[in-house]
Amino acid sequence: MIPLFEKYRPRKFIEVKGQEIPVDKIKAFLSNFNKDLTKKKAILLYGPAGTGKTTLAIVAAQELGFELFELNASDLRNRKKLDEVLKPSTEQLSLFNKGKIILVDEVDGVTSTLYGGIAELIALIEKTKFPMIITCNDIWQTKFNLLRTKCEMVGMKEVPYNVTLDIIKEVCKKENKFITEDLIKEISAKARGDLRAALNDLQSVMNIQGMTLEEISIREKSQDIFNALKELFKIRTNQNTLEIYNNVDLELDQISLWVEENIPKEYRGEELAKAFDALSKADLFKGRIYKQQYWHFLVYQNFFLSAGISSAKGAKNLSPRFTKYNPPSRILKIWMANQRNAKKKAIAMKYAELTHTNKNRAMRDFNLIALMIDDNAIRLMQLEEPEIEFLKEKQQELKALASA
Amino acid sequence: MAETHSIWTEKYRPIKFDEVVGQDEIVKRVKNLTNSLNIPHMLFAGAAGTGKSTLAIIVARELFKEYWKENYLELNASDARGIDVIRQEVKNFARTKSLGSVPFKIIFLDEADALTKEAQQALRRTMENYTSTCRFILSCNYSSKIIDPIQSRCVVFRFKLLERKDIDKVMKRISDNEKLTLSEKSIEAIYEGSEGDCRRAINLLQASASISPNITEEIVNILLSNAKPKDIKVVLDYALAGDFEKAREKLLEVMLKESISGTDVIKVIQKEIWNLNIDPELKVKLTEKTGEVEFRLVEGSDEFIQLEALLASFVLAGLGKKTGL
Repeated sequence: MIPLFEKYRPRKFIEVKGQEIPVDKIKAFLSNFNKDLTKKKAILLYGPAGTGKTTLAIVAAQELGFELFELNASDLRNRKKLDEVLKPSTEQLSLFNKGKIILVDEVDGVTSTLYGGIAELIALIEKTKFPMIITCNDIWQTKFNLLRTKCEMVGMKEVPYNVTLDIIKEVCKKENKFITEDLIKEISAKARGDLRAALNDLQSVMNIQGMTLEEISIREKSQDIFNALKELFKIRTNQNTLEIYNNVDLELDQISLWVEENIPKEYRGEELAKAFDALSKADLFKGRIYKQQYWHFLVYQNFFLSAGISSAKGAKNLSPRFTKYNPPSRILKIWMANQRNAKKKAIAMKYAELTHTNKNRAMRDFNLIALMIDDNAIRLMQLEEPEIEFLKEKQQELKALASA
Repeated sequence: MAETHSIWTEKYRPIKFDEVVGQDEIVKRVKNLTNSLNIPHMLFAGAAGTGKSTLAIIVARELFKEYWKENYLELNASDARGIDVIRQEVKNFARTKSLGSVPFKIIFLDEADALTKEAQQALRRTMENYTSTCRFILSCNYSSKIIDPIQSRCVVFRFKLLERKDIDKVMKRISDNEKLTLSEKSIEAIYEGSEGDCRRAINLLQASASISPNITEEIVNILLSNAKPKDIKVVLDYALAGDFEKAREKLLEVMLKESISGTDVIKVIQKEIWNLNIDPELKVKLTEKTGEVEFRLVEGSDEFIQLEALLASFVLAGLGKKTGL
């Protein structure tokens, strides 16, 4: 996979956002090269990482029709290699008769020893027939004192927050990934003007299939609960069993749902019965907490939920084979059923009101009640159109059942 | 008074003391209190469909005649949004004097046992504050769930389940009026299905009549089985066969589809246990566990977790049977 910052590296000057002054300076430098011999032969782009120094060199070469001869500064540490690589390119014409730009990237690491790279670099600048672009993060180190005088100095500013924000949004759009506004803002702010870092962060977010920050944190959370469940079910009960849920960023009631869902995946027969007995006791204490508002019962809820479930398998470890734990499904099913039952509930409630009865009882006997509601009752109960429709359907269904 | 009502429980709801079936003793005492215009606060305790609301309405009708609706407030403790709403409604209602010669109004609070202990304490204060202008009739299924200070301020009446002869009377009256033909056997089926709950008996009769005016035992039984959570037996069979996951999936499905509560499920399970093909000793153990679970549900535990724990015991019982062979 191509890194995003490579994939979306600008190809034209107008695509370089937030660095207008350096762009103008580099254009002028290249177009004036060799025309005015008093001018410097190298331009030194300096500034924080990820502000577009290398990009500017690449764009300049492409847009103005130069061949880019790229040299990583770490190559300069080796004088021999430098001689080999750099000298020929300065002394020969480009293969395709194009002009050439020599890019010496990241000179920060160049040594200042006698045979070091800087002297060699300066010598190159004196000799070169081609324009040179040098990039550097921290140009104010003393070892660069001489170099600075030999180059036209162009400072790159941090990419402004708004520019970063716009670029990230555009990349998201082009990648067809939805990422929440909050997350985009967070990435942009965190980057502090380092566009490469911002795009790398964005990529790491996208790599998890366009998940949002929220989802990522849920993912992390579920990772924790998966580990906790593994420990709960597979490892023999020990000193640490009570702390099993400490790293899980979920409420105990939520954890209880996870445990409930997955007990049958690990336990059978007697283990299963013991585990559910413990779970039901944890639930009992939960009920007591709510009822009495006596929070010390939480200790017991946690105890049964951890040690209670863990010890159901006896004093042993389970085989460490991989078990695929499922997230709780019950609450969603209940919610969906409630949606389906909404009309039934509404009818039962209106019936209950009309007949001095209780709603739950009306729900229980709904199949009898549905048959009894005629047009007169519909009027008295003030049923609404969708409810009437639901009722008529139900009546037909019940009558068909009875006459079968 | 001439309201037309097509729901028979309302159409045939007694409006005079003499029309009430069953509860003879209670009716006699309440009638005396009403006639002497000397009504205390009252607590009606008893199962659903035994006549608690009916009697409360009759008291109001007898006291206030044609103005009974203006002087009678019915509240449901389980539906009202908390004790504060109840207090507010009571306050608004009790602020004005009663119409007519009776110096107080009647407030009927249905399902008072749905109130928490704290809410009941608040209710007690409210009852005291408005004693001069209002009389409370509270209804509940279990008087034990009503706090002592309230019980001591009320005359407690305990309503019994209706007997066969009471249901007979009601069925005859309605079927004559609605021109239905009703056999002894179908009355028997209705009575069995009603479980002593008069409202349910009348509902069964009306639902059957919606299919045919000739009410047969078969129709009643079909309707009854429709109204009952059917697949609970299947759930138990899965559990006994050791397939816990299938059992609980089916259980959730049944509960959600029919929107029945955990206590309804428990009642069916409790009845089913005796018919299972397992060691009687296991039946005793399972029933004990079932009772414990029902108790926990009444106390307000999570229905599904408790039922799952019960199913897990069935899985175990299933194994017990296998190893026993």
